Amino acid sequence: MTKTGIIFKKEVLDILREKRTVITMILLPLLVFPVIMTFAARITASQAQKAGEKTLKVAYISRGNAEELTRLLKETRDLELVTDRPRAEALEGIKEDSLDFLIEVAADFDQKVATGRTGDITLYYKLSNEVEITRGRVRKLLNRVREIYLESRLREVQLEPSFVRTVEISEVDVSTVQEKIGHYAGGFLPYLFILFCFFGAMYPAIDLGAGEKERYTIETLLASPVSRMEIVLGKFLVVFMAGVTSAVLAIVGLFIAIKQIPEIPPQILESIIKIVEIKSILLMLSLLIPLCAFFAALLLSFSIFANSFKEAQSLMTPMNFLVILPAAAGLLPGVKLTTVTALIPVLNVSLATKEIVSGTMEPGLLVLVYLVMFALAGVSLWFCSRWFNRENVIFRGI
Amino acid sequence: MIEIKDVSKSFKITRKQKKERGLPAGQRRINAVNQVTLTCRPGRIFTLLGPNGAGKTTLLRMVATMLKPDSGTIKVAGFDTRRQSQQVRRSIGFLTGSTELYKRLTPREIVRYYASLFGIRREVYEKREKELFDLLEIQEFAGKRVGKLSTGMKQKVSIARTMIHDPGVVVFDEPTVGLDVLTSKNIIRLIRDCRDRGKTVIFSTHIMGEVGLLSDDMAIIHRGEILYSGSFDEFLQRKKGRTIEDEFVRIIGGNHD
Repeated sequence: MTKTGIIFKKEVLDILREKRTVITMILLPLLVFPVIMTFAARITASQAQKAGEKTLKVAYISRGNAEELTRLLKETRDLELVTDRPRAEALEGIKEDSLDFLIEVAADFDQKVATGRTGDITLYYKLSNEVEITRGRVRKLLNRVREIYLESRLREVQLEPSFVRTVEISEVDVSTVQEKIGHYAGGFLPYLFILFCFFGAMYPAIDLGAGEKERYTIETLLASPVSRMEIVLGKFLVVFMAGVTSAVLAIVGLFIAIKQIPEIPPQILESIIKIVEIKSILLMLSLLIPLCAFFAALLLSFSIFANSFKEAQSLMTPMNFLVILPAAAGLLPGVKLTTVTALIPVLNVSLATKEIVSGTMEPGLLVLVYLVMFALAGVSLWFCSRWFNRENVIFRGI
Repeated sequence: MIEIKDVSKSFKITRKQKKERGLPAGQRRINAVNQVTLTCRPGRIFTLLGPNGAGKTTLLRMVATMLKPDSGTIKVAGFDTRRQSQQVRRSIGFLTGSTELYKRLTPREIVRYYASLFGIRREVYEKREKELFDLLEIQEFAGKRVGKLSTGMKQKVSIARTMIHDPGVVVFDEPTVGLDVLTSKNIIRLIRDCRDRGKTVIFSTHIMGEVGLLSDDMAIIHRGEILYSGSFDEFLQRKKGRTIEDEFVRIIGGNHD
């Protein structure tokens, strides 16, 4: 086995026995999505179900107007109509959650409607997640009333309802299911890649650089017949592997989560399975390699410079923003992979992943992203090895 | 054999260091080791005595090829530290009092790791591991994680790690710092044992008691410069009734800071 291989093997054994690393590199990426999505789906579903089945308490002030609406409200099931509450009291009831809605019909409603003008009905509510769902039920009812009044008015002048519906607009989305998923998940997947890649590599990097200095074990390692390049390479490979493992496990976790949620229609599931086709996976992994190499070399350089775990952590904190911001920029509407954005590290991986997931990746741009990222990874690894050779860095403060 | 000839080493100083040491604003570098010439011979213990910050660790780090001298030459077992660093490292064992071990690994894993780095063949390694583990009584805790071992046990593992490749030259940088009496005794026994087996031994200390216990040859280093170098017997003759400590203070000029 080569010296780099020996160092790699020892470091892997060492970091896999560190609870913090195992949590951030393996458990967190693997479990975070199944746990969050399962809880989120269950909570959302149960809230939606509750809101859908709930008997709504609706205060109603009609002042003898809008007979059709009064009839409809009385006929509607799961609706408790409160007709004896003055306006101010009803509004207070909504604020205090003892009432869900107040429907107020204007005093001149009938008069206006009868004379061909527009009658006013006001719906009062306090917006919440639940009301967002229940409001739909009340709006549906009010829309029905509007239609009834419109139809009756049209009948008076002997016209069909189609007379006022001058244009019927239909929308047809011709994108494939994969493209649709790519549009939504494609913005999300790069986030997973990039963040887990970075955070998965962070603790091993700190341990292998600053940790080694803090324990002074760096001295015994440097006094061994191993070149500094072999040491850097051995450590770099471990940090790189940690980043890749973490990102891959996050994706695995996401797909486990998606499969666990029964509400997902089978055709969407089928499309997700298409995304995890060998070609897409290989393309995404190939983007992950230079990205992780870049992060690993960068994190290791910072870690080697630091004298302690604490210092390394504080040096790396500002780096989080340098990673999160370009990754988040990929989610902004209108930001697309072009020859310009392909040159911006991290953002280019974010956008390219989105395109791969959508199945719309242009080969020329992909090559450009590879060139930029591999060049960057190479430069950062070169910098890391140079950094490791500098006495004032290695023995800084020790 | 270690041959150190006209070796100097300076470091760039930070603003903080300048402030702490009260150095002039224009000074950019500090001489950690200045024109040092020493020879350590096989079968003898060479003691490097000096107060904290005297340049002992810098000098020993240069011997172990961790640092490169700005000028001068260092030869270890006939190899030049600058041009033949790999051969030098193969020839030396390096032990310091401040170095910890990988606490998540077991003593056996640690010693094997270093043996692999030194390229020791499996059959040779197994024999040597058994000898060392028996000698240092490591066998009973060889499979336990280092983090769960006592300081004395850890020091034994450090010794095994240092000696696994049977080095001809052994460098001890303040090896007893922070150790209890019993563990320090083990180290002192090891240093003597190395000398008795014909190895070249250099060890640094600021503890006067250790000087008398171990030295065959010695040098006093202060602010990077060698103020005395010779055999320990000559040193004893020089001190003329004074204690080692008094003589040391007299040599460094009583202005140790």
